[in-house]
Amino acid sequence: MSVSNVSSSYLAGALLPAVRQAQSQLATLEVEATTGQYADLGLQLGTQSGYELSLRTQDDLLQALTTANGVTQTNMSASQTALSSILSSAHNSASTLLTFASGTVSSGSLQTIGQSQLGQLIALGNLNSGGGYLFAGTNSSVAPLNDYFSTPTSSAKSAIDGAFQTYFGFAVGAPQVANISASQLQGFLSGPFAAQFQSPNWGSNWSSASNTNISSEISPGNSITTSTSANTAGFQQLAQGYAMLSEFGNIGLSAGAQQALAARASNSITQGASAIIQTQSQLGEAQSRVTQANDNMQGQMSLLQTQISRTDSIDPAQVATELTTLTTQLQTAYQLTAKIHSLSLAQYL
Amino acid sequence: MSLSAAFNIINSSFRAIGAQTATISGNVANANTPGYSRQIASPITDAFNGVAVTSVTRVANAALAARVNLATSDSAAQAAISGGLAVLAQTVSDSYTATTAGAQQNGNSPFALLANFRVALSTYEAQPSSITAAQAAVTAAGQVTSSLNAGAAAVTQVRTQADQSIAQAVGTVNTLLAKFHAVNNSIISGLGSGENVGGLQDTRDSIVTQLSQQMGITTSLNPNGSMSIFTDNGATLFQNAPSNVTFAPSGTLGPNQTGTQLYINGQQITGSSTNTPLQSGAIAGLLQLRDTIAPQYQAQLDQVAGNLITAFQETDQSITTTGLPPLPGLFTTQGATSVPPSPTWAGLANSIVVNPNVDAAQGGNAFLLRDGGISDTADQNYTYNSSGQSGYTGRLTQMVSALTSPMSFSSGAGLGASASITDYSNASVSWLQGANQQASGAAAYQSSLQTQASSALNNATGVNLDNELTNMLTIESSYTASAKLLTTVSGMLKTLVNAV
Repeated sequence: MSVSNVSSSYLAGALLPAVRQAQSQLATLEVEATTGQYADLGLQLGTQSGYELSLRTQDDLLQALTTANGVTQTNMSASQTALSSILSSAHNSASTLLTFASGTVSSGSLQTIGQSQLGQLIALGNLNSGGGYLFAGTNSSVAPLNDYFSTPTSSAKSAIDGAFQTYFGFAVGAPQVANISASQLQGFLSGPFAAQFQSPNWGSNWSSASNTNISSEISPGNSITTSTSANTAGFQQLAQGYAMLSEFGNIGLSAGAQQALAARASNSITQGASAIIQTQSQLGEAQSRVTQANDNMQGQMSLLQTQISRTDSIDPAQVATELTTLTTQLQTAYQLTAKIHSLSLAQYL
Repeated sequence: MSLSAAFNIINSSFRAIGAQTATISGNVANANTPGYSRQIASPITDAFNGVAVTSVTRVANAALAARVNLATSDSAAQAAISGGLAVLAQTVSDSYTATTAGAQQNGNSPFALLANFRVALSTYEAQPSSITAAQAAVTAAGQVTSSLNAGAAAVTQVRTQADQSIAQAVGTVNTLLAKFHAVNNSIISGLGSGENVGGLQDTRDSIVTQLSQQMGITTSLNPNGSMSIFTDNGATLFQNAPSNVTFAPSGTLGPNQTGTQLYINGQQITGSSTNTPLQSGAIAGLLQLRDTIAPQYQAQLDQVAGNLITAFQETDQSITTTGLPPLPGLFTTQGATSVPPSPTWAGLANSIVVNPNVDAAQGGNAFLLRDGGISDTADQNYTYNSSGQSGYTGRLTQMVSALTSPMSFSSGAGLGASASITDYSNASVSWLQGANQQASGAAAYQSSLQTQASSALNNATGVNLDNELTNMLTIESSYTASAKLLTTVSGMLKTLVNAV
């Protein structure tokens, strides 16, 4: 090995690059120690930057969907409560009608039941939550059920009166009403009257709800139906039963016809009740799927968080160790530089 | 042998000692002068058995000097590339200082803001009758276009700056070549008349190193002591006289503009049309940044912008009329009347905007995002929510899936041909940060190589003070001995004269 020349200027500044590097590292480490993250994420991660960003944005999306699911859950719970109260009223009405045969219930109270229940059904059907009508389908800014008892006379009521007039040849309030037989009444109720509660009459006179229900994205790429509308069989059957009582419960029908009316109304209300139960179970299914989706997303988010901090966070212990090592290194470099400067022959001559 | 001969020899010794002392003084004085090569006075025996210093050698190391120049060129090229990429990378960096979650913390890359827009769409989809949610989604869409605009502006800025830097570098090269010409001539004439040209040679070497900062060069020494310089792709930069390096700066370099190339004596030496373009030096690095790296990122942004306009276009919704062409919907360009086809996407990232018809700040209606008909508020054929239901989410669902379904991209941008818009913009972030990381690493590596090469050259040709002082001591004792001899011989002569 040959001993080559070492220039004094090199010797004097030999440690300078090392000191410079150590200082810039020190600045980086200081930032990392305070923030807990890499000082320059992009530079540190390089081609992994996209991956890290996608983890973060995925986390944001799940967070947003979870929040949105909260709103959906609230709406569905409110719908369930409304449906439950509609259902219990239907059950009460049905049992009252059953006792009608024993004569304890007057014709007047049949009409009262019909009027109050129909009013309640419409009120519940027009339930509004957070600026939208729950049973309106996608047409959520318009109250789905029209007020039956409005002044001027609602189109639904006019249509029923008209159908009666057409079928029997006289108006609802006419004295000939007492002559209507049970079978005649049944014919009317199951024919032109029932048609009033089906499409297209239902859509034009009763309901402005959309047949399309609201579908919500409950987890990324997974949308389900999260609402029900006032156009379901439950609402139609109950409205039919209640309207029957309200319109014809106290118009002076013969006893036989009155019995037939009560039976027919009871039948309608019972059918409506079971349809409501079905709607409730569909909604309940959607509710449980949302809950499940939330649980899944919660789990995913905690996984994502772990992964994110694994990707972009520094190990505080490691940074602390590196800081100490660097400080020691810098001190050594300073001491050495001072020593080297005093190492000159000129001092000894 | 006579005593007078001894006088002459002693006298020659004093002369030689003087010459050596002068050399040592020069070395000591220049110990800390950068680029100084130490000089050695070599004494030889003259014809009368005396001593003489006939030549002073300059310690030079051509191989090490060439290595320094090469390392300087490579380091300058990488530093230029890394500097430009760092500017571009800033537009996609996520910021650790931002404490709020969401877009801010994820930075302002098109990908982060697209993801944010997708979140806003989902939120709006969950409450389609909320004007606040609608406006938030439109704002998020505006951030996406701003981000694309900002990215494209950064590309223009980087390219324009690179172009200006090249013009400056070319100016520096021409100035250095003129200086080199003068110094080289002085060296030739100095060598002819036997002067010490060490200082001039140092100057010439330092000019060469400065030149290598700007462009990769090689040098060769001619028998008469003059030096020729060639670029690393073989063009003559200096031979007896400097070549003329020309470059016409382009001013602002927009997305569709290509910059001009470099010419030496009218011969093009850079660009893809030459067989071997310039390899290294700041100019080569800047050219690569201006013509390859930045335009590729621009192409990626343009592809994202073009596909955004296409994915969010509105189609004819009417049942009665058929054959109406799709129109640009949420994303469009100023005054656009049709969806731009893929080959015309260049520069779209600069001009993409959110349609004013949907932007409340510009008098638009944010609900059009849900209902459709953004393209032309007067034409009902493009309205998706024809019955105006406030709970309608069909169009919003389409938009969410438009962001995640595969679209076709030009493979020329280097990120594949088929991906969803979000995946593509994500890959673009990775591409840019990867290039940035690589360039930064390469720049640091080349810089340390340069430091090493310089140290090696400095060690080989620099001054060691201890060495010079030791030499000084030797000369001092030699001076003492000569002086003693002179006294002795003088005494002997005096004795002889007295004896006569």
